[in-house]
Amino acid sequence: MLEIKNLHARLDDGREILKGVDLSVAEGEVHAIMGPNGSGKSTLAAVLAGRDGYEVTEGSVTYRGRDLFAMAADERAREGVFLAFQYPVEIPGVNNMYFLRAALNAQRRHRGEPELDAGQFLRVVRERLKLLDIADDLLQRAVNVGFSGGEKKRNEIFQMAVLEPRLAILDETDSGLDIDALRVVARGVNGLRATDRAIVMITHYKRLLDYVEPDRIHVLQDGHIVQSGDKSLAAELERSGYGTFAETPETAETA
Amino acid sequence: MSAVLDFPVKPEARPYLDAFDKGLSRNGDAAPRWLAQSRRRGMTRFAELGFPTRRSESWRYLDLQPLQQKPLLPAGPEPGKHETAARTQLAGLELPGHGPRLVILDGVFAPALSRIGDLPTGVWLGATHRAIAEREDLFREVAEETPGDPAHPFAALNAAFFADGFVLDIGPGIGLDEPIEIVHLASGNDPRSYHTRSLVRLGEGSRATILETYAGEGRYWRNDVVAVRLAARAALNRAVLVEESAEAVHLAELEATVGADARFSGFALLLGGGTVRHEASVRMAGEGAECHLDGAFVVDRTEEANIVTNVDHQVPHGTTRELIKGVAAGRAHGAFQGKITVREGAQKVDAHQLSRNLILGGRAVIDTKPELEIYADDVKCAHGASVGELDEAALFYLRTRGIPDAEARHMLIEGFLREPVEEIADPALREHLLRRLARRLAKLEE
Repeated sequence: MLEIKNLHARLDDGREILKGVDLSVAEGEVHAIMGPNGSGKSTLAAVLAGRDGYEVTEGSVTYRGRDLFAMAADERAREGVFLAFQYPVEIPGVNNMYFLRAALNAQRRHRGEPELDAGQFLRVVRERLKLLDIADDLLQRAVNVGFSGGEKKRNEIFQMAVLEPRLAILDETDSGLDIDALRVVARGVNGLRATDRAIVMITHYKRLLDYVEPDRIHVLQDGHIVQSGDKSLAAELERSGYGTFAETPETAETA
Repeated sequence: MSAVLDFPVKPEARPYLDAFDKGLSRNGDAAPRWLAQSRRRGMTRFAELGFPTRRSESWRYLDLQPLQQKPLLPAGPEPGKHETAARTQLAGLELPGHGPRLVILDGVFAPALSRIGDLPTGVWLGATHRAIAEREDLFREVAEETPGDPAHPFAALNAAFFADGFVLDIGPGIGLDEPIEIVHLASGNDPRSYHTRSLVRLGEGSRATILETYAGEGRYWRNDVVAVRLAARAALNRAVLVEESAEAVHLAELEATVGADARFSGFALLLGGGTVRHEASVRMAGEGAECHLDGAFVVDRTEEANIVTNVDHQVPHGTTRELIKGVAAGRAHGAFQGKITVREGAQKVDAHQLSRNLILGGRAVIDTKPELEIYADDVKCAHGASVGELDEAALFYLRTRGIPDAEARHMLIEGFLREPVEEIADPALREHLLRRLARRLAKLEE
């Protein structure tokens, strides 16, 4: 599904953030990428999603047999790549339902499937809503405008549920959530585990992994994957911290 | 006709003065004496003032040179002509529903295209020329207010030349639920100017909603003046939709007086026209008066659009809210100029003005100039203005959901402009304007 080989990337200002990342994720798997602040976690997510402001200087990423970097951000999404944002963007004036229908229809057009009208779309939405505890009025409001932190994260997972991606990258989806919201989000993610879908969870804390059990855990540090293992690695990290790096209090990491 | 001139004449006013003296565009010989005098006064005033220059503060953002150099004179009315073409123009513009509709074609009421229907007792709706004949006092009162303000030379020209327009007069205590629709069409058969003058008067405690649509084809100059008089506790919602032709010059002036505890809600959606200027001047004459002036403009290619507002709080306890949004693309130029004056003694006025603008591409220009002039000491007044580009973070967010770049840009532009439109209370009117907006944005040339 996803093959990352020797990926090097730097910011527009020249700072090198990713210094040779190797990662292989197969269909049906859930991977967690953990690491301290500034290790390059969010940069990895941004580069995979196609955000401007980063330059890939070396290495390759193959997604379902295709060169991921040959596709623009919107094309990647239509091909089934989904990024759940650490900081979902507020879009005043754009209704959540209208936005999501446009997104789903863009993907359906891309796959040669007929577009859904408002009524058909509503049926899809109702079905997916059962998965997550989302109030109906959130759907009628402008995208993420006036949403609480928890509502924004839930809205991300809800979008994922409607768009049904092949590869979902969750960037710090657990950050800023209280335990109830975390449970709801985790239930959503678990409900979306599927044999033809891969999920990559990027997280700072082990907490999310108590609710969504990954197949593999990787530790990203200073732009490299320094350790990989099964779920038991999380418990080990909990005891020893991120190696030589002292645990620092969470600060807003620039995506 | 008098050939003796005892007043100075600006050169650019000369062709209009000559046309006036030839008696063009006057609505028959039976015009009452006060009207003939008012026309003469207007003509003299315009001849003295001429075209405003860009040194004049309220005209600084508009280029009227092309119009000044190539006069567009009024022509005599041709009732009944071009109605077939007008029907086609009207087709997409109509507000859905069965409310009253009054069509003014090439500056003159077109009964065959209109549908006035049954109105409650106490409501008078009809063409200006008929109001002059049937409701002389009503119209005279407004027409005789001298158009002497040097900032408004075209109101003076309008007084000289107006051929028709509409009058809506509602007696006290009457509420009209269905919007009243006025459609101004220009058939575009030969270049000329259309001068229309209208009046809306609401009695105590009355309320109404009107939509004035302006559209046309070809090259023309529309010079429209509307007067609004609201008695105590009256409430008027007035929406304006401008979809003029690419070659058209549209200069419109609203002049409103709002009585005690009355409310005027003006909304302008400027979607098309080579040169468009929408001006609203509101006199807050009664205590507790409320005024909302919202609007949005979209310009592309080489279009120009100006929204100019002027709210004058003369007495205490008034409220003003303004939200104006603009989008400019291509080589277009948009501008907002808004002034709120709070006179001495007009305490407890609460006024808020916000102008937000979006520039698409490096060659478009938007000017914004909010202005407060306050002579009272116990007031709450604020204003704000911004000019920016599309939010890249929002654009990226939409694209990560698979929405193609062009569609994502459209969604953001439309989302930006929807806010003031969504303030419109009447659901049918709101949906109609949102549809016209979406249709315009689909053709936007970035």
